[in-house]
Amino acid sequence: MAVLKTILYLLVYPGLLFLFVYGTFCEWFDRKVYARLQNRMGPTHTGRWGLLQPVADFFKLMAKEDIVPDAADKPLFTLLPIVGLAVVATAGLLMPLWNPFPEAAGLISFQGDIIVLLYLLSLPTLIAFLAGWSSTNIFSQIGGTRVLTMLFGYEVPLFMAVLSPAILANSWRIAEIGAFYRARPLLLLPNVIGFVVALICVQAKLERTPFDIPHAETEIVGGTFTEYSGKKLAFFRLMTDIELVVSSGLIAAIFLGGFGGSPILAFLQFVVKTLAVIFLLSLIRALTSRIRVDQVVAFAWKTMAPLAVLQLLIVIIIKGLLK
Amino acid sequence: MTDLERLDSLKVALGGDILEITNPARRRIFLTVDRAKIASVLTALRDRLGITYVSTISGLDAGDAFEILYHLAEAAHGNVNVRIKIPKADPHVASVTPVLPGAIFYERELQDMFGLVIDGLPDPRPLITSDDWPAGNYPLRKDWKFERPAEIIPGGKK
Amino acid sequence: MKFNIPIGPQHPALKEPISLRMTVEGEVIRDADLRLGYNHRGMEKLAEEKNWTQNIYLVERICGICSHSHATCYVQGVEKLMEIEPPKRGLYIRYLVSELERVHSHLLWLGVAGHEAGFDSFFMYTWRDREVVMDLLEMISGNRVHYAMNTLGGVRRDLDEIQIKKILDGLVVLRQRTEYYFKIGASEPTFVGRLAGVGYLSKEKAIALCACGPTARASGITADVRKDDPQAVYDEVPFDVCTADSCDVLGRTVVRIKELMESYKICEFLLRNLPAGDIAVKAPKKAKPNEVVSRYEAPRGENIHYIRSNGTERPERLKVRAPTLANYPATIEMLKNGFIADIPLIFAAIDPCICCAERTVELVNARSGEETVVRFGDLRKLAGERFAKSPVKRNAVWPF
Repeated sequence: MAVLKTILYLLVYPGLLFLFVYGTFCEWFDRKVYARLQNRMGPTHTGRWGLLQPVADFFKLMAKEDIVPDAADKPLFTLLPIVGLAVVATAGLLMPLWNPFPEAAGLISFQGDIIVLLYLLSLPTLIAFLAGWSSTNIFSQIGGTRVLTMLFGYEVPLFMAVLSPAILANSWRIAEIGAFYRARPLLLLPNVIGFVVALICVQAKLERTPFDIPHAETEIVGGTFTEYSGKKLAFFRLMTDIELVVSSGLIAAIFLGGFGGSPILAFLQFVVKTLAVIFLLSLIRALTSRIRVDQVVAFAWKTMAPLAVLQLLIVIIIKGLLK
Repeated sequence: MTDLERLDSLKVALGGDILEITNPARRRIFLTVDRAKIASVLTALRDRLGITYVSTISGLDAGDAFEILYHLAEAAHGNVNVRIKIPKADPHVASVTPVLPGAIFYERELQDMFGLVIDGLPDPRPLITSDDWPAGNYPLRKDWKFERPAEIIPGGKK
Repeated sequence: MKFNIPIGPQHPALKEPISLRMTVEGEVIRDADLRLGYNHRGMEKLAEEKNWTQNIYLVERICGICSHSHATCYVQGVEKLMEIEPPKRGLYIRYLVSELERVHSHLLWLGVAGHEAGFDSFFMYTWRDREVVMDLLEMISGNRVHYAMNTLGGVRRDLDEIQIKKILDGLVVLRQRTEYYFKIGASEPTFVGRLAGVGYLSKEKAIALCACGPTARASGITADVRKDDPQAVYDEVPFDVCTADSCDVLGRTVVRIKELMESYKICEFLLRNLPAGDIAVKAPKKAKPNEVVSRYEAPRGENIHYIRSNGTERPERLKVRAPTLANYPATIEMLKNGFIADIPLIFAAIDPCICCAERTVELVNARSGEETVVRFGDLRKLAGERFAKSPVKRNAVWPF
């Protein structure tokens, strides 16, 4: 029974199937919001209101010819999309969805799971770099170096911003942090700076405008994924979708009070809160233009990092006052 | 500036280098110079009258000679067109790119289209014609006719 | 580490085939090389085999965006060769279409610049508003891309009161939207940060490399053929030459937005002072041996046609120089020491040309997403009904 439950957990909810469905839904939501903000219709044809468009895109890509360049490092080139998908799906399991109660610690909710989640969210960036580098295309390689350059910019502010609420809640466990803030909603207010910093860093992590530099199509064609096609590209796109779900879920869990109550209530909270975060991310995407990679690094270290440190200071002072 | 003043200033600036000068329409001046002097004439126009803008260079196949027109323009001096004639037997002319750097693409185009040899051109590679363009084919010469080459598909059936 | 990046002949940033070879060091461009000829169609040779009237439609097809510019430049030259004087009303309509074309070209450019800068919202908004002017052009000429308005001795279609009113209404909308874009272009920090200082071209370099059009004007050169060498109506119309001193892509954007405002002014002047009378005179079939240099300010800069006639009904030589070619040497200069990220922006500053899309007979209801396929016969019936109601009077003397 326990085995069956685990398999169900891994494959159905909140494992792969749920992440696939919700990831494609979030992509649809993002595309629709982005399109409406640009005075366009967005997806309309596949399914009701075009809801099935990302799914259709996924299956269409799965059916396409899969080309591996001769000069590429073939095992690495083939393995990377699968590893990337596995990594973000594992990160998805750590969402305090199935088991949101702080008292029931277990395999997927433990002290320090926030660190593991952040670590798992860093891995797709490295995978994107390796994908670019292993395809031996000049555009991919430039994209790969840009991915890494950007990583050095946004990673530190993101960690500082995400960990400061954890310091205030005195826990390294996402479920506990959420429960702490649900009990004291007013304490969410001092974290606003961190919320903004984390939002912008997640935008950079997901490589969305204004940080879509590694795959700026007018400059370096497809960027890191230029040589990818067919199934491998479909996996990478699914990876990005799930990454969007996981990172917005992380922001919602840390900064917006997590997901409490019964499992169904928790699920509804999860949907509403992640969609709110994704809406903000789409808003940033629609309102800005792409910047250069040197501007990203300068912005990250001159604006974001000081703001994150300020957030940390505020949290430490408040923690002292509360004692 | 009226056209008469324009003509006068050109005559003063170039003196004896002008072989023929006409003014067929308002702000349009055509003057003919010797082909050996083209670089020095354009230098004089640039230095003495400040005409630095070359609109384009037109070539024309006039039977036994090529006519080359350097279309220059300047706000006050209007449109000055300097004409030279180059015999087909000896299609050499000095480059004006060292004088007017903006002329480089027009001179390369002339080489491709008329088979002129522009001496002293900093970058004499073909500009328009493709890499596998057969040598000695100059499309804008009057005696050149297009013949569709037999299509060869690499690796295709014989 | 130095390496070469090929931009083109096929590349997402380029809408037309051209090959740029960049030598880059990290993200910085050290050298740029240009290879043309991928789109060479032999039009100058072809023009020598067609008669004067056929060539109008040939030169119109040089470019899909400034099609009217080439046709106008050619026609105003040939009219001089044939020694005919088009009627005033015809000239006013011809240059009205010119200015509307400038409006649509500049709006298109703004959208492309937004897209190249990764600002897709700006792209969508400008292209939406470009539809306003495209609809006006379609109403005037019946076509969206190749207007085919010009003929030797005038224009082919007249304007009536209702059309004039519609154009004036459209111009009011466009002016409001352009002011909004000016605000965005000057205030959106990521957009300004992306454009400012990019593609620097000093005034001295711009003069030396013979840059023209908005590229030159953004480097502080007041060169505009409409002012320096006014053709037909431009010495009667009040307008200013727009320049900027910042010498970068931001300056080129500002120049183009300002020119939009000037174009609205010119259009309104032309419409309010539209003289009565015929729109065309009959043109002869042949032209005496002569030569003419015709200059015209196209949306991207100076357009120059050199036409030589030899007494027959065909030209002896037709030399066309489009403004883009004049701006290539300056582009290479601008690219040097720029970033890879700036290549599309700098290149877009000379305005890439996009071919017209084929129009399908499929009408999609945007709200419900339902498609209605209209039969060709029904469409012809609709066109016939529209034509029967159309108040356009044909008071032209048609050249045959």
